[in-house]
Amino acid sequence: MLIDAKQAFSNTNTDDKSDDLIRKVQQGDQVAFAQLYRKHEKPVFALCLRLLADQQHAEDVTQEVFVQLWHKIAQFQGQSKFSTWLHSVTSNIAISYLRKHKNWLQKVVSFEQNGMDEQSIAMCNGLNGLDKLILRLPERARLVFVLHAVEGYRHEEIGNMLNMAVGSSKSQYHRARQLLQEWYEHE
Amino acid sequence: MSKANFDDFLQEQLANPSEVSPSRDLWSGIEKAIATSAHEETVSTQYWPKVTGIAACFIAGLLAWNVSMNQPELNTMRDLSALFEQQKQALLVQYKTQPALTSDWQGQLDELEQAEQAIKLALQNDPENAALLKMLAQVYQQQLDLINRVHAPSWQQI
Repeated sequence: MLIDAKQAFSNTNTDDKSDDLIRKVQQGDQVAFAQLYRKHEKPVFALCLRLLADQQHAEDVTQEVFVQLWHKIAQFQGQSKFSTWLHSVTSNIAISYLRKHKNWLQKVVSFEQNGMDEQSIAMCNGLNGLDKLILRLPERARLVFVLHAVEGYRHEEIGNMLNMAVGSSKSQYHRARQLLQEWYEHE
Repeated sequence: MSKANFDDFLQEQLANPSEVSPSRDLWSGIEKAIATSAHEETVSTQYWPKVTGIAACFIAGLLAWNVSMNQPELNTMRDLSALFEQQKQALLVQYKTQPALTSDWQGQLDELEQAEQAIKLALQNDPENAALLKMLAQVYQQQLDLINRVHAPSWQQI
């Protein structure tokens, strides 16, 4: 049984310590925002990298996430953990970025984007073994696996986010899991 | 040493997320974007970004409509190339008055165009080769990415 990694992220004490920072940022304090950025930069970038499988795009989207965060942070009412809310904002921006930047080509030729090649993966320092394998997955399988297994979304939610049927989400998840297991066992 | 069971591996790795950092400092760009947007909010007469945005959306919509209308026939190199040229020219026109952020981007574009020509040559001998069509599509995407990137808002380049 997989653990809910969203919960694992949230269980850190980072959120508790962030409460004061968040209040300051909501009041327009840019110094506090810089501190908030330093606290959340790595997990946000890691999520972008997992979803986009491209370091350059992941960096651009991380910037976009924090720019939008600055404008939207007033909407955070504290009903969920800040990191959970931030991960949700990040996922939506990354998926929207994927649609905007890759859609026309995927419509023109019906092929699925492959994951990152091993040389590019090797250049990303700090990735754990699972992330190295996730980045090799084809796009749809990777998106579903990251959203379900890593971020804790239900297949119904993923279906809405990615405009796919619930059954497709489940089959992509199993496809991803099979590929990951195969690669893990043969390495 | 034997490998851990795959489920155990997953559980352990998900509980210990990667500590991965961007390869460049992103904060300076974010700071600049925040400052720029704050400035823009105070200047009510700056309507050009909105006009450009609307124009870009219109072009994108037009292209999406074109793609969807022509989709059943889009399996050959010729159709793919025609659509790409349309998209590329639309972008070049869109960015015509906007200075590029690097001086050597035309050189990089030339290299990609050379790769495009080499793949097209190979496709003349094997027009239905899916791998070659895929490579051609990727080179086209790289060209579009390059044009977009060198003309992107400056904060994204920092």
